[in-house]
Amino acid sequence: MAQTNPGKDSQASEAKKLISLPTSRVRLIMKSSPDVSSINQDALFLTTKATELFVQHLALTSFNNGSGREANSLDYSDLAKTAEETDTFHFLTDILPKKILARDYLESLEQLQDEDADF
Amino acid sequence: MDGDSSTTDASQLGITGEYMASGHYVLQPQDDDGEENMNDHEDGGTKENYREQDIYLPIANVARIMKNAVPQTGKIAKDAKECVQECVSEFISFITSEASERCHQEKRKTINGEDILFAMSTLGFDMYVDPLKLYLQKFREAMKGEKGIAGVAVGESLGEDLTEDSFTNQLPTGIITDGQQQNVMVYTTSYQQFTTIPTVQQIQFS
Repeated sequence: MAQTNPGKDSQASEAKKLISLPTSRVRLIMKSSPDVSSINQDALFLTTKATELFVQHLALTSFNNGSGREANSLDYSDLAKTAEETDTFHFLTDILPKKILARDYLESLEQLQDEDADF
Repeated sequence: MDGDSSTTDASQLGITGEYMASGHYVLQPQDDDGEENMNDHEDGGTKENYREQDIYLPIANVARIMKNAVPQTGKIAKDAKECVQECVSEFISFITSEASERCHQEKRKTINGEDILFAMSTLGFDMYVDPLKLYLQKFREAMKGEKGIAGVAVGESLGEDLTEDSFTNQLPTGIITDGQQQNVMVYTTSYQQFTTIPTVQQIQFS
């Protein structure tokens, strides 16, 4: 990740060693929000760093939430549960719906239809 | 911001409201091909072509941070990694929208650091603010000073520190060190052990 170019580049690469996520990609995501014109360097750094903290925070909270059921592992349902139960992560509930297998859904659907169907 | 790539709309699923009562449901294919969401859009200009949800951070980076956050013997499911990858994009957009709004209210065009910190605070992430301020300080020093400034070793990427240091039975910490490897500031991901930020000690992960 580090480059040894002299001058401003070396300062930039020193600074970028503080984070482990690609700032260019973070900027891309930020700019996809409506009405965002420009983002200064501090803001980009802070967002990138905050994202790291967020990943750690979410992963650890979800892991602890789920360790009662499936010891020592983190899976999707732990994340979905955390999003529902933790205020901070509540904004994720739309993108973390609880999943069911298509098979189970179809079974349930059939049961509902059977109740109405005329054979 | 609706995830209509996975159908959660009850009317589209054709099922009754009773079935959906306990929450949202999405159909999960039997064989989960996990690589679908690995978009790699490098061009920055055509934002009309991509919804913001389609742009993700590289899963390798995200997975590494997750791995370092949980106890070392813990396992992380593949769908959890992908899921967090999506959550991350959501988080970034969440913060950015809020910061952008404040910016507009104050008739400014450029989102600055204060806007981001304010957005975090407003949206329930105020526990991040103090560590972030310290990191920002280090960042500014690195950008301002000349290479090899005395007493400040921004040194290894923190991502690498977290994997190489021996945190076998500890929660991983972010450490900013000076040249003599003395800890200047330590934070832990448990958020229970902030040594410099008393207010955060109230936050507990159970």
